[in-house]
Amino acid sequence: MRNTFLKAFMVVLLFFGAFAVVAKSIPSTPSLPPEETLFEVAAIKTKQDIAMAGQKIFFGKGQCALCHSIEPSASYRCPPLRGIGAKLTRDALYESLTKPEAFIYLDYSSDPPKPFSARMPQVTKPPIGLTENESLAVVAFLQTLGGEITVDPSELTSPTPVAASQRAGDN
Amino acid sequence: MSVEQQVVAIAAAYREFPLLGSRNMIWVTAQLHLLFAGFVLGVPIFAWICELVGVITKDLRFDWLAREFTKLLIAAFGTTATFGGVLLFLLVALYPTFFNVLTEIFYPTYFLYAGLFFAETTALYLYWYGWDAMAHRKGLHLTIGFLLNLTGTLLMMIANSWATFQMSPVFVSESAGVWRKAWQVVNNFTWMPLNIHRLLANVVLGGFICAAYAGFRYLAGITATDRERYDWMGHVGNFVGIFAMLPLPFAGYWLTREIYMYNQQMGITLMGGFLSWLFILQAILIGVLFLGVNYYLWLGLAYRTQGAERYRKFILAMLVTLAVCIGVWMIPHSLVASMEEAVKMGGTHHPLLGVLGLMSAKMTAANIMILVTFISFLLYWRANREETARWATAGRIAQVVIFAAAIAYVIWLGVYGYFVPVIVRIGFSVNQVLAVLATLAVVTVMTTLMLRNATLVGTMQWGRMPARSQYVLILMAADVILLMSMMGYARSASRTHWHIYGMMRDSSPDAFSPSLGDASLVIVACSVIFCLIVSFIFWVASLPGRAPVRAILAAQEAAGREAEEKVAAQHKTVGKIAAQLEAAKDAEVST
Repeated sequence: MRNTFLKAFMVVLLFFGAFAVVAKSIPSTPSLPPEETLFEVAAIKTKQDIAMAGQKIFFGKGQCALCHSIEPSASYRCPPLRGIGAKLTRDALYESLTKPEAFIYLDYSSDPPKPFSARMPQVTKPPIGLTENESLAVVAFLQTLGGEITVDPSELTSPTPVAASQRAGDN
Repeated sequence: MSVEQQVVAIAAAYREFPLLGSRNMIWVTAQLHLLFAGFVLGVPIFAWICELVGVITKDLRFDWLAREFTKLLIAAFGTTATFGGVLLFLLVALYPTFFNVLTEIFYPTYFLYAGLFFAETTALYLYWYGWDAMAHRKGLHLTIGFLLNLTGTLLMMIANSWATFQMSPVFVSESAGVWRKAWQVVNNFTWMPLNIHRLLANVVLGGFICAAYAGFRYLAGITATDRERYDWMGHVGNFVGIFAMLPLPFAGYWLTREIYMYNQQMGITLMGGFLSWLFILQAILIGVLFLGVNYYLWLGLAYRTQGAERYRKFILAMLVTLAVCIGVWMIPHSLVASMEEAVKMGGTHHPLLGVLGLMSAKMTAANIMILVTFISFLLYWRANREETARWATAGRIAQVVIFAAAIAYVIWLGVYGYFVPVIVRIGFSVNQVLAVLATLAVVTVMTTLMLRNATLVGTMQWGRMPARSQYVLILMAADVILLMSMMGYARSASRTHWHIYGMMRDSSPDAFSPSLGDASLVIVACSVIFCLIVSFIFWVASLPGRAPVRAILAAQEAAGREAEEKVAAQHKTVGKIAAQLEAAKDAEVST
């Protein structure tokens, strides 16, 4: 019995070893995470600076681009945002980010009509967890899509640096 | 938050595990937990099917087999729970922030999980300890077995929701209630395809581990009865493994399709990015599995089945077809080439092989391999029988036509796929799968009807298989374990540097994904540890009813002596009778 086990186990080990040798022989390199970019509020001087910071958050920490495209695209789940700066006021944009349930059409297929659940997350809550400054920066970026930036650098409340990408420690 | 504060916060979010590192520790523990979970979910499904077959066919061997494997569950169940507990401790200790986020999202499911765990444990104890007590109430026993499998499957589905949420998170509406929110996150994009994929894979694992165990016991068997019994057991395990394996590529394809639908970038990372060569390794392992399964069936035709001679001539053609299909499946789309090589080749895609590296060709190869394996099984199924149905000849011709049509259709769609847009080509894969599944279903029903009242032209000679057939069974189980470990890594690595894809970034020093070669070492380590622990469980489970080997040998010797004495006594008696007859004849002649 013991010999049979050893023999069988050796066969299995040889097989595993052969697999490891083949896998090792395939040229491959580790996949490194992209570098995180930090920007400081103190360095933001103009409205354009805020919008650029907002763009980074849009494609980074905010994860907006996970569902929204700028141009119309069939592969995205949520509405494209081209021209959103002209369509919505600043307050509406801000409210869409921080209170996505505020303006939502009722579902008239049920009687009485009931509110839809918003698929849009509240971006100030975890796991996204944007700060007030970051939310304003995203609003500024969205305003560049067909509108005019109305967020002023003086509105940014804290002079402390803000991370452009998600940090686990922020949660 | 200042940069310094952020650094402090990140340090608090992670803790380092000495020597091995936090990520490796979590990786190995999670993989072992997954393999054991697969084992304790797959084996009861396997045992329950065997018990059911035993009740229907009234063949007591199936009941023995089901019981033999349920016995292992008790030890394996504890081991699975232990690894689950260790994993939980490690997550809380090493990744506290991440675990807090998961808890915030999933805490209602924790209570459900705990409740189901209790229910599963109760069902398992009743199923195992009530085996004899319910020997005459098989309906009740089978119901408890069903509940055991149901609760186990639901447990798996809850755990899958945590893992799949990390891959394909959904945003929850703030206004929804606690349970509705929980359902929204549970029912994410990749949840159901992973449930189906894991369910099937667990049955495959259960079947092949059973076959490997039987193979080992066959090799170590002392008596002819042992070899007969374990040869049959290996055959049943292999049979269950094959049948669960046949739809597995389709389930895998569905899962990958959902990943692409959810996030194209993740799909590209998986199939076309740094993980793409992992799928070449997967093709090799699946190729080995298909070859092993078929080889075992062919050995069964050659050694075990009387009357199978008429089918042996097809083996070479099937072997060649399988080899070609495996070759196609293994071809990568793009090659790792130097600049000079790429210039000579006209790009990183080889002009001929690059074409065969596309999914169109791979799906075609996979489907044909499934059909060939099914043909092997079909030949084995009717090797020692002669159909007596009046329409048997017409039925056989119809089956040949169905197979030919299915293969032609699969190849045609594969070739035509190169001339249509990608989205149409993806749709073709569904048609290929449906054609193969329909063939499997129709031919199975036809064969069942044709073999009704069939006459036996030979017997199944259990216990005559050569030793290499049993090593094939052992290797197939090892192959499945390796495959599961590797694909576990693939699924996890597809998230790249995210704890929760696109939502929560991994900011630890382990946020990178290792090279394929380095990853393979951890994958092999997981597989070896699992094999060792499973062997230990088998050994422990065999202790209570184990008669000492010497005693068996002595009994055998005694039985042999007794038989010899009996034969000698019979010879003596026959000799006496012959002498008496001779004497009587002589007396008659003289009178």
